Amino acid sequence: MTTARRLSRRLAAVVGLVLVAFFVVLAVSKPRGDADVSSPLIGNPAPAVQSTLVGGGSFDLSRRKGSWVVLNFFNSTCVPCRNEHPELVAFAENQDGLADGAELFTVVNDDTDEAVSAFFEEKGGDWDKIRDPDGAIAVAFGVAKVPETWVIDPTGFVRMRVAGEVTASFLASRIDSMREMLTRTGS
Amino acid sequence: MSRLKGRLSWAAMTLLAVVLLAFGATRSSGPSTQEERIDAISKRLACPTCNGESIYVSRASAAESIRNEIARQVAAGQRADDDIVGYIESRFPGSLLLPRAEGVDSLVWVLPVVALVCGFGGLVVVFRRWQREGAVRANPDDADIVAAAMRDHDDPTDGL
Repeated sequence: MTTARRLSRRLAAVVGLVLVAFFVVLAVSKPRGDADVSSPLIGNPAPAVQSTLVGGGSFDLSRRKGSWVVLNFFNSTCVPCRNEHPELVAFAENQDGLADGAELFTVVNDDTDEAVSAFFEEKGGDWDKIRDPDGAIAVAFGVAKVPETWVIDPTGFVRMRVAGEVTASFLASRIDSMREMLTRTGS
Repeated sequence: MSRLKGRLSWAAMTLLAVVLLAFGATRSSGPSTQEERIDAISKRLACPTCNGESIYVSRASAAESIRNEIARQVAAGQRADDDIVGYIESRFPGSLLLPRAEGVDSLVWVLPVVALVCGFGGLVVVFRRWQREGAVRANPDDADIVAAAMRDHDDPTDGL
């Protein structure tokens, strides 16, 4: 066998292996979740959020200063949103029991009041749902896909962004550590 | 004298090309309607959830939201087109369809011009060389071959 033929066979084998590895990685990789995602907003004041609530009432983020605020961007037809919902219910219950527990809000993304109300009635969760009819809140935060979860500290600064599904324990532990850090630094 | 004239005409043509390019690149296209502005801005931005589609073309929910935001900012009239594009890019990094003319990205704009100038310069050098070398001259051997061929032509009975 000539050297050129040997070399081309080896090259073909390497290319084949790389392709197989690529497909294996694609097949076994899990969807993103519980992972902080960078954003130019982190460490900066949160964008202004003023809107109305599903079921009546209004919401103004600037009036929530003094509390940790968790905004969860949601759509009732999105599968990861439905998957993470029990975790959010657990998180809300956990935070309700704390003196300085975080306030959870859903930001409705491209969905109807009826669908959202029906979903929460069936799956639970009595926190407020903020309307975002023209996507202004989503654009202000740079949210392109749901679910996404954002954490805003009591001074109104954005502290964390999670793209994909979150778990109650992850969210609670991250907020705890940020709470401690803010207490330590006194800011 | 004719050489000087040639150089002058080349210089005049180059100057004209530079002036026209500079004019074309910097001139304002004039006032446009709000709809035209929204469309123009939307065409400069990529949809964050779909591959290879602009905000202008895409019907995805995220693209709709961004188009709404562009329309809001255009209607408010407080930001120039570049500022609106900058705002959207700050929220959705990597959403610019065309690279900026800054830093490494500027190579995208500079390299084609450099290639064009080099190609043009190369052609000028080659044409000049051809001009200097003049026409191809026949050597004595070539002249002998031609003379023999002519003789054959004059007397077609030769060799019968």
